Amino acid sequence: MSSAFDLGLGVLDHALVDSEGRRCGKVDDLELEGVRDGNPRVAAILTGPSAWSGRGRIGRVVAAIVRGRLVRIPWSEVDRLDSAVHLRKTAKELGLGRGDVRAAKLVERIPGSSL
Amino acid sequence: MKSVFSIALGILAAIGGFVDIGDIIFNVAAGATFGYQLLWAVVVGVGGIITYAEMCGRVAAVSGSAVFDAVRERLGFGVGLIALVAAELVNLLTIAAEIGGIAIVLQLLSGLPYRVLLVLAVLALGLVLWLMPFEWIERVFGYCGLALLVFAVAAIKLHPDWNAVAHGFVPSTGTGNGWVYAYFVVGLVGAAMIPYEVYFYSSGAVEEQWTAKDLGVNRANVLVGYSLGGILSFALMISAGALLLPQGIQGELLGTVALVAEAPLGQIGLILALVGALAAISGAAIDSSFSGAYSIAQFFGWEWGKYRHNSGAPRFTLAWMVMLVLGFLIVVTGVDPIMVTELSVIFSVVALPLTYVPILLVANDRAYMGRYANGRFANLAGGFYLLVVFVIAVAAVPLLLLSNMGQG
Repeated sequence: MSSAFDLGLGVLDHALVDSEGRRCGKVDDLELEGVRDGNPRVAAILTGPSAWSGRGRIGRVVAAIVRGRLVRIPWSEVDRLDSAVHLRKTAKELGLGRGDVRAAKLVERIPGSSL
Repeated sequence: MKSVFSIALGILAAIGGFVDIGDIIFNVAAGATFGYQLLWAVVVGVGGIITYAEMCGRVAAVSGSAVFDAVRERLGFGVGLIALVAAELVNLLTIAAEIGGIAIVLQLLSGLPYRVLLVLAVLALGLVLWLMPFEWIERVFGYCGLALLVFAVAAIKLHPDWNAVAHGFVPSTGTGNGWVYAYFVVGLVGAAMIPYEVYFYSSGAVEEQWTAKDLGVNRANVLVGYSLGGILSFALMISAGALLLPQGIQGELLGTVALVAEAPLGQIGLILALVGALAAISGAAIDSSFSGAYSIAQFFGWEWGKYRHNSGAPRFTLAWMVMLVLGFLIVVTGVDPIMVTELSVIFSVVALPLTYVPILLVANDRAYMGRYANGRFANLAGGFYLLVVFVIAVAAVPLLLLSNMGQG
């Protein structure tokens, strides 16, 4: 069996799911280390609007306009991979999914929001 | 394991949910202008939606990825974002068209002013989305949409020339204005393949946590549901062809659509037609609002889904609310909703390749799909429809102009 793995197709742009099964972002970019030593490894997942700046011209422009956060998740926090990247901790512990937390405050003001 | 009964119920809902304002407008207008000659174009469109909905459902069941997950994974951030923006713009036009359609049907039923009914329509849709559980929404609107079967009865009662009907299923270049004919081909194929249906279908499959065990249900839903849905389209076109064409009545008005059922069946026909249209168009408005929210949430990795209560997927909830409001703002300006409908179908054709290419790629990826990757037949059909979609995507806007929006 081949151990080759396509990071571009298999990890980049895939969904992040936290330890409680909540969707909490996308793999917006990857941080590699050891490329010069000939022993490249994925050091971390980068997520959040600022990480789009590494994604071509369109990404750079959108990142400059949105000017959001950048969260770095060390690869050691990855529990397993399927079509999504499953993380070992909750979104809150990792500082992810804050947009949903903020939006929830708004939505919860409307009666019947827990239906 | 699902019971046969629950599968049958799902299929019934799919039949009622197949038709939306785009199908109604294009089928009736095509029947009124060209008789039965364009029935084959509906067959082409239904084949396309079956092919791609099956693929999307299979990808969702096997990998848990919905359409815009796949779009982003395959096209990357930049091109994926272009696909998202295109899809959302088309979706907004569709939502606007459906809200306008609801208001027109309500106006035919009540006689109240159109703008008041627009407000009522959007408020009612918002309440349903906010309060009703997902399966209820799907079922209630799907079943009531089955009232459109009145057009099948109308078609038979109008005694069409069945020989001519049979000829309509054979592709031909048609008689009459060639540009208008070609415009209707694009419109009919586009209306059947309108993209929000696959976004909605695949997201629903993920929400219902389908697995490889559900692939049979997927196939049954898509094959039976969409084929029988196509019969509703045939019925609309045949009855319009039998009634409107000989009398030279223009078909591009929802009022004439109701007339098509009323002429052979009287008051009860009229009421069933209007109730069916109201349910089908409302269901489509809901599906397309959700589709817009699904797509953006999947692209950016937000929590999404109606099974998580409203505040459980808050950005998703805000997204469908914004979609509904923007759609409302488009129609409340007073633009003709029939024109918005035609534009939404024609522009959706232009945006189709951006969604279908990534789906075809993912469905072929064995690392992703394992032994459930596309077989030869799915690839043959998928490749054929990609070609069809590219051709009609290139032809769509020129034909819109050359045919003067089907007016000749």
